[in-house]
Amino acid sequence: MENREVLFEVIHMHKAFGPTIALKDVSLKLFRGEIRGLVGENGSGKSTIMSIAAGMQPPSSGEMRFKGEPWSPAGMVQAQRGGIAMILQEANTIPGVSVAQNIFAGREDEFSRFGMVNMKKMYQAADRVLEKFGIAHIHSRDTIDKYNFEDRKLIEITRCVNDDTEILVVDETTTALSQQGREILYKLMHDMAERGKSVVFISHDIDEILLHCDVVTVLRDGDIIDHLSREAMNAPDAAKTIRYLMVGRDIGEKYYREDFTPSCQEEVALELKNISFGPIRDFSLQLHKGEIVGMGGLSGCGMHEIGRAAYGLERLEQGGVIRNGKEIKSPLQAIQSGIGYISKNRDTEALILNGSIGDNIVLPSLPSLEHGTFISPGAEHKLADREIEAFRIKCGSRKQYVSTLSGGNKQKVSFAKWSAKGSDVLIMDCPTRGVDVGVKQAMYSLIEEMKAQGKAILMISEELAELIGMADRLIILKDFQVTKTFQRSPDLKETDIIEYMV
Amino acid sequence: MEGKQTHLAWIKDHSANLAAYGGVVFCVVFFTILTPMFGESIWSARKLETLMSNVIVTALMSVGAVFVYSLGNMDISIGRQVGLYATIMVVLGNSTGSLVVPILVCLLLSVVFAVINGATGEVLHIHPIIPSLVVMFVLTGVNSMLFVNMNTRNISLTSMGHEIFKSPILMLVVLVAEVLIVSYLFNFTKYGKYAKAIGANQVSAQQSGVNLIKYKVIAYIVMGVCVVVASVFQMGYTGAAADATGTGFEMNVMVALILGGMPLSGGMRSKVSCAVVGAFTFALLDVGLPMIGIAARNTYIIKAVIFLIVVLITCRKKDGVLPR
Repeated sequence: MENREVLFEVIHMHKAFGPTIALKDVSLKLFRGEIRGLVGENGSGKSTIMSIAAGMQPPSSGEMRFKGEPWSPAGMVQAQRGGIAMILQEANTIPGVSVAQNIFAGREDEFSRFGMVNMKKMYQAADRVLEKFGIAHIHSRDTIDKYNFEDRKLIEITRCVNDDTEILVVDETTTALSQQGREILYKLMHDMAERGKSVVFISHDIDEILLHCDVVTVLRDGDIIDHLSREAMNAPDAAKTIRYLMVGRDIGEKYYREDFTPSCQEEVALELKNISFGPIRDFSLQLHKGEIVGMGGLSGCGMHEIGRAAYGLERLEQGGVIRNGKEIKSPLQAIQSGIGYISKNRDTEALILNGSIGDNIVLPSLPSLEHGTFISPGAEHKLADREIEAFRIKCGSRKQYVSTLSGGNKQKVSFAKWSAKGSDVLIMDCPTRGVDVGVKQAMYSLIEEMKAQGKAILMISEELAELIGMADRLIILKDFQVTKTFQRSPDLKETDIIEYMV
Repeated sequence: MEGKQTHLAWIKDHSANLAAYGGVVFCVVFFTILTPMFGESIWSARKLETLMSNVIVTALMSVGAVFVYSLGNMDISIGRQVGLYATIMVVLGNSTGSLVVPILVCLLLSVVFAVINGATGEVLHIHPIIPSLVVMFVLTGVNSMLFVNMNTRNISLTSMGHEIFKSPILMLVVLVAEVLIVSYLFNFTKYGKYAKAIGANQVSAQQSGVNLIKYKVIAYIVMGVCVVVASVFQMGYTGAAADATGTGFEMNVMVALILGGMPLSGGMRSKVSCAVVGAFTFALLDVGLPMIGIAARNTYIIKAVIFLIVVLITCRKKDGVLPR
């Protein structure tokens, strides 16, 4: 193995963000022709290493070598030109311009003469690129806003990867993709490896890692813990071994709920009564106390919109959202009647990134902290600290900005907001998106605990496994209509459900 | 090494405040040392009075404007509002013999403007600066019509004395009171906390139960009331109003807030102290520079250079995004 050509090397790299140490003295070799899996909990440093390699930020100390030469890119564009491209978790396209302009952003010179861009040439080139990647349903002349998150992600991939790309870094990209989109990406990864290039695959989905990687590197707390070869990955309990390495302790088998009987109280906590808005027609749902209702489907099936409607964020044409006999028409009314909502767009909707952890946690609770008009800072701090402690949010203090937290810890903050408020009904849209196994497990047990306390939970998710694992009742949507409702059962399999989704 | 790093991080985090406070401290030290060499010290009673009268109107407006700027909005009708309020105070003050009625009328008007400026942007989905632009034009028109009808460009308060408004002590007392009240509203009530949250992330604020229209309007009302208070001093100092009164005041407010380290995007880093620090920095330069023998025509250049330095330090984007 050691005789293969080293394509990229990280030597004694150290990275700190203020007092937080993200990487401590990490060394890593990347060989030609391999797909390298990088796994670790949120904040373990796996994205940090590769973002440094891809020029997004400089290391605090240490060096890198790429194709035998010292490597210190000044920015992402330079790194991409040099041959290291990174695809990120969150959307990274430029809104308001055409698909072609997005694909060739920063490379307009190739189509320019005398300072004028030949758009026709650019569109043709873009169409060729789209065809090469097998996504010809996207048209280069369309504005990018026409396409959904998944298509934009695919467009982004075509932008990052070209013939000169030597190393492709795929950072949590698959969570945004459907099965079909994933296949396109997997094919690209294997193609690149076959052509003697190298792929770094960062994912929380261990099955996916096991399936596609040649070697897996596990990180924990900014340190490389171990490397697993293909042979080790073929072992029957490989997934468990990796989880153990990631978390550093045995997290046990318990993951989802262990009971398999649907249960809930009699009392209806939230009712959607014949609601119609946009493409959604006449949708009804009763959510009971102590019940977890799962809602699944493909990302464009309307389930996210229904979640928003249940929180008073959509203007209904017909029907109503009712709690305790009162109609909910705005988020404020929803909160006052004890409903909480966790948006799937964590960074843009659920959280104030440029605000402290404390400010975020107490925001919905401010009215209940008021004495007259006065809100005592002491009461705010107490509430925030209580939730930080309860959710074990990894941070320096409540004053730390949410933007500096890792994905899992950010998600904990958005849960903590509603725990602080004491909400009895929780609408969670993709609550475990971009969150690692350790945090996922913690969230599942938290959701189970909420159920035991009699809270009603509407869990909207694109991950069937967690819906099957958690929900008392599972509603499947397709094209804005309910196609099937499943009751909780030990025999329920993903394959039974998929046919109602696509 | 660790300690040094945390110090550096602290300095980085607080660079905006350091620059703003640094600016005002520098001005104080600079003029304290230099002005006596040119004759009169900036600490002489007469100069302090000049300073106070120079700073009071801008400071009173800016303190209130912190609320609106923290939303990430700005209001460019402030100057014309001052003009209208000054006119009303003189006209109604002369006909009623006291300032009570005119001040009440102005407060009422300020609420109307606050509703227009604060709510229409949100309701009609237009950039919030647009309604304030419209209000500015309307008020310019109203004010010039008033003066055309009165057949003059300048009116004076004749029914009562206005010496009291020239008292630097009163100015200081009112300013301190206003700063205390606005600081309370901004830091210890949900009015301020919601305004900052809206500025930092409007969508998130809404999903956390903030009624956007209501709290935007409240932010504009706080500013409006402060503008009325400022107008009292603007009118009272000279006992007069003219068709040009208030022109450009919205820019003074903007400059003061920026010099004070206020982020133009609003949000959690907004502070009431920005208004006070900025207004005093600006006034110190205004009063101090001519005292050390710099011709008035050159002071603009110097102010521009200082402004540029502060802005470079305070307004630079420092969102070093940490990947997950």
